[in-house]
Amino acid sequence: MTHAIAAPADRADRADQTGPAGLEARLGDPLDPANPLGHAAVVAADERGEILAAGEEMLDACGLNAEFVPRSLGGRFERADRLAETVRAVFRRDVTLGLGYGITNFVAAAPVWASGDAGQRAWLARLLLGNRRAAAAYTELRHGNDFTRNELTALPAAPGFVVDGRKELVNNAERADAVVLFARTGDGPGSRSHSHLLVDMTALPAGRRRYLPRFPTAGVRGCLLGGIEFAGCPVPGDALLGERGGAMETVLKAFQVTRAVLPGVVVGALDTQLRTALSFAGRRVLYGGTVADLPNARSALAGAFLDLLVCDALSTVGARALHLCPAETSVLTAAVKYLVPKILREASYDLSVLVGARSYLREGPYAIFEKMMRDLPLVTFAHANAAVCQATIIPQLPRLAARGWPRAEPPPDALFDLGAGLPPLDFGRLAINARGADGLSAMLAVAADDADPRVAASAARLAAELARLRRRCRDLPARDRTVLASRAAFDLCERYIVLLAAAACIGVRRNGTGFRAEPDWLVGALARLEARLGRRERVPADIEARLTAELSARFDDHLTFDLYARRLAG
Amino acid sequence: MSHPPYAPYALTERLERRFGDPGDAARAFSLARCAELDRRAEFPAAICRELDEAGVAAYYVPARFGGAVRTFEDTLQVVRLMARRDLTVAIGHGKTFLGGVSAWVGAGPDQARRVAAEVLGGGVVSWALTERAHGSDLLAGEVTAVPADGGYRVTGEKWLINNATRSDVVCLLARTDPAGGPRGFSLLLMDKRRLGPDGYRCLPKVRTHGVRGADISGIGFDGAAAGAGDLLGAPGGGVETVLKGLQLTRTLVAALSLGAADRALRLCTGFALGHALYGRRLVDLPHAARTLTTAYTDLLIAEVLSLVATRAIHALPGELSVLSAVVKYHVPTSVDALIANLGQTMGARAFLATDDVHGLFQKVERDHRIVGIFDGNTLVNLNAVINHFPVLARMFAEGRADETAVAAAADVAQPPPEFDPDRLGLLSRTGCSLLQGLPAVVAALPAGTPPAVADAARRLCAAAADVHARMAAHRPTARAVPAAAFDLAREYVLCVTGAACVRFWLHNRERAGGAERTAGLWDGALWLEACLTRVLGALRPGPPGEDGGDGGDGGAVYDRLLPELLAQYRGGFLFSPLPCRLPEERP
Repeated sequence: MTHAIAAPADRADRADQTGPAGLEARLGDPLDPANPLGHAAVVAADERGEILAAGEEMLDACGLNAEFVPRSLGGRFERADRLAETVRAVFRRDVTLGLGYGITNFVAAAPVWASGDAGQRAWLARLLLGNRRAAAAYTELRHGNDFTRNELTALPAAPGFVVDGRKELVNNAERADAVVLFARTGDGPGSRSHSHLLVDMTALPAGRRRYLPRFPTAGVRGCLLGGIEFAGCPVPGDALLGERGGAMETVLKAFQVTRAVLPGVVVGALDTQLRTALSFAGRRVLYGGTVADLPNARSALAGAFLDLLVCDALSTVGARALHLCPAETSVLTAAVKYLVPKILREASYDLSVLVGARSYLREGPYAIFEKMMRDLPLVTFAHANAAVCQATIIPQLPRLAARGWPRAEPPPDALFDLGAGLPPLDFGRLAINARGADGLSAMLAVAADDADPRVAASAARLAAELARLRRRCRDLPARDRTVLASRAAFDLCERYIVLLAAAACIGVRRNGTGFRAEPDWLVGALARLEARLGRRERVPADIEARLTAELSARFDDHLTFDLYARRLAG
Repeated sequence: MSHPPYAPYALTERLERRFGDPGDAARAFSLARCAELDRRAEFPAAICRELDEAGVAAYYVPARFGGAVRTFEDTLQVVRLMARRDLTVAIGHGKTFLGGVSAWVGAGPDQARRVAAEVLGGGVVSWALTERAHGSDLLAGEVTAVPADGGYRVTGEKWLINNATRSDVVCLLARTDPAGGPRGFSLLLMDKRRLGPDGYRCLPKVRTHGVRGADISGIGFDGAAAGAGDLLGAPGGGVETVLKGLQLTRTLVAALSLGAADRALRLCTGFALGHALYGRRLVDLPHAARTLTTAYTDLLIAEVLSLVATRAIHALPGELSVLSAVVKYHVPTSVDALIANLGQTMGARAFLATDDVHGLFQKVERDHRIVGIFDGNTLVNLNAVINHFPVLARMFAEGRADETAVAAAADVAQPPPEFDPDRLGLLSRTGCSLLQGLPAVVAALPAGTPPAVADAARRLCAAAADVHARMAAHRPTARAVPAAAFDLAREYVLCVTGAACVRFWLHNRERAGGAERTAGLWDGALWLEACLTRVLGALRPGPPGEDGGDGGDGGAVYDRLLPELLAQYRGGFLFSPLPCRLPEERP
């Protein structure tokens, strides 16, 4: 841990125009109808089914791709949490742009950083730094998330491989110069039958590959989701990425990184929905007062704020754990990818009830709300759906119960201290099974002694829940550790994930400064999470009042609603 | 030909046969054609003409005014049938029921017959209540009707009005007393043909999240003339008539959700049977199967509640102020969740908007979101329940219930009593008999009631007692209703849904249980056990396999529903505890 990297807070709002603050400044005032990157332009591009061209130009100009390229290869990627926070600025404005321009490059690149040789890594780095695109070609709709049954084949044939088959729902398929291809290279049914190929699309014989028509979607309508069909297409031997048969293992490591980052960036979409709902509630007059005056509305807004903070805490801790606790992240990142999209979706729905008919309109001052409502669900499906994430965790539950939960040491403070530096992210150290290791959940017992009695009481209940889960999970039936796992096993898994989110919030508050260090948001956040476990208590009224005040102040001062409270443009 | 045990389903079966298999793209009223119209944001005019030819509009008009409605169950089933195929059609055509309802509840017989003749002749009638700046706050409305020349001059704009542009007649709520107030508004029948093109202006169609072909627009008047005879009901009676009419429409709007839920569940079941994951059919994976069976359970609960409440329009009109709010809150909200849950199983196919079968699911999801928004949104309806807390708590404590009327609402074998609009009230004085009678009924369950069901029913009673005790402690406030009251109202609604299921089972088990096609659902009160397990799980969420959540046995009752669900899917039957054949077999 000698190469600790300075925290973003240390150089917050740096002048180089590339951090979150710089991006925000370039994005400009969202409400300015003349802003080519404002809400009106974003909604109009969505109506046309186009990715926002002015947005792509701006991101080219500030070299967003460098965020995805390791510093050692000439980029700016050092820290997963910082990456999430930076790209979140784009997602606050336009999920389509953030996904279609940005994150999809990172998803494609992660297996290359994880398993590529020096030449492959340098090649892809150059390509991305030159504002070109990479595509991740994994999905075959027939098999969904069941990668082991993927059919596209790459068979050895001098001087390399011959590829046959098709990949679908590939973002930017047709405009990517580099494609990371998940291909079957062996006959067996198991996990050693697939390999990654890093394909230079510009060098393929055009007659042997065909681009599929775009897949229209309900949300992110501007994303260029396409596909590629290969027919006896020769690919050079040096395209093999990592070892032959090693793709599943690479995926299990590399996707931990992307599964932690993707939910973290999409928090930006809820930020904009919440801001739009606040704007609506402050202006809309009903029954002689504004909507914002109605206790139920205030409660819904404060609830969404808490949900957003929970999502940020869990995804940020998940991202930092990649650096600090790589032995545990197979579980933790799956937890992030499961719970954060779910909470975001539900919070979005709750806000839509508040916004009412305006949430249903694709025009007018609140149209961006409707667009985000359509875009958000994609994050659930994209890149491992909920069931896949839970299925990553469920077989590990008995061992976690037997080894991790009873006596784990709490994780280092640096996991939660957003201002603390991090050691470099080493893909090779990311374990594909936690082997029972889980320090994060130990934070529940730590907080059971919290100086704030409300935190202590809540944490004690949560620790008791962990003890209850331990009894249930230790004896999890053998069948529940397979693909035939029962709903009861999935429910246990969900409850465990909720406890991890609580533990993340507890840690962030204990190691925070300013607002993050105050108990109010934590008491509220734990109440929201306990509600997910069936507890019926509302967020206490005084807490809700203080959060409402914080929310209003951030709205008025143009600050983000996440853990960072950064200044926004406009 | 078999006679369905539930008479309104004979109507459904006849019309379903007429429109044919929705999966057959060559049919006029097919899923594929509706999806194409949605992509083009085009109004389904040709389909609406076919509905007119089939005589569907007669099911918007009570028989005593010349229509076909002897029970509003027929209206419910007709709208549900359209919604199973396309919500845009159901909303675009069914809107005329909303346009006419004020006449059925608030007009004199001559005027009601005039509106009836309009509807039966194929006229499109729209209902213009909301304004751009005021939404559900009807008393803040600014459209005015000022006495002039023996009639009225109308000025102002109504916005987000379904069929505002396409309609022939607009049933308009206008301020007739400048001071406003509950008696300050009146309803006017604005006949656009008589006004002529210069007498009004239509506002542009609004681009929406779903139902993209629907004519959701607005209408403006600049001193338009209305005759004295265009006044619907008494001057100043507009708000009262609207609120009574809304009790009918909020109950029947459930049909939109039931239709959408049937479609979503049918699409997802088909996918789960055909898609393989980990070398097995999706439907054979317990987690995915459970999503299907709990969605099925949610649909059964929504249907039973809707049927009982629709019959309560006839049997318990004085309590419809409660039941209609319960239905309008619960059914759209639970179906939104049902669709979202199924979407998780659909995976990427819940998101695709392709022009094949995979593109259909996202359309149902988008379309259905409007149901919770219009005609009094979720919060308005929960507020209506909260306003009843004092009377509900009192009546429950006293065990007061109109048993005869509850039986008439729940027993679907008999036609319900004739609808009497004069018995509608703005605030129920007798609470909600359906739930208030539950403890007495559960204390005397018939011999042979399965123990698990009896136990669940008793737990429901205990939960209801607890909820009412907390409702009794609620202090009414005019405006600043605490958020906790909304939570309590949600719990109350769950109790009512459970009570509807218990009563529906009690009154229909012998007859419906004898129908071959649904015998498995009634055997051992299977569907009821599943529904009560689900309701109790929502009332008392807890860890799986313990006291809450899943009935304590891992939710095995849901697994027993799977064969019934698959049989209804494959055999081409409505997802329902009562048999109804559809031209949609998928063997």
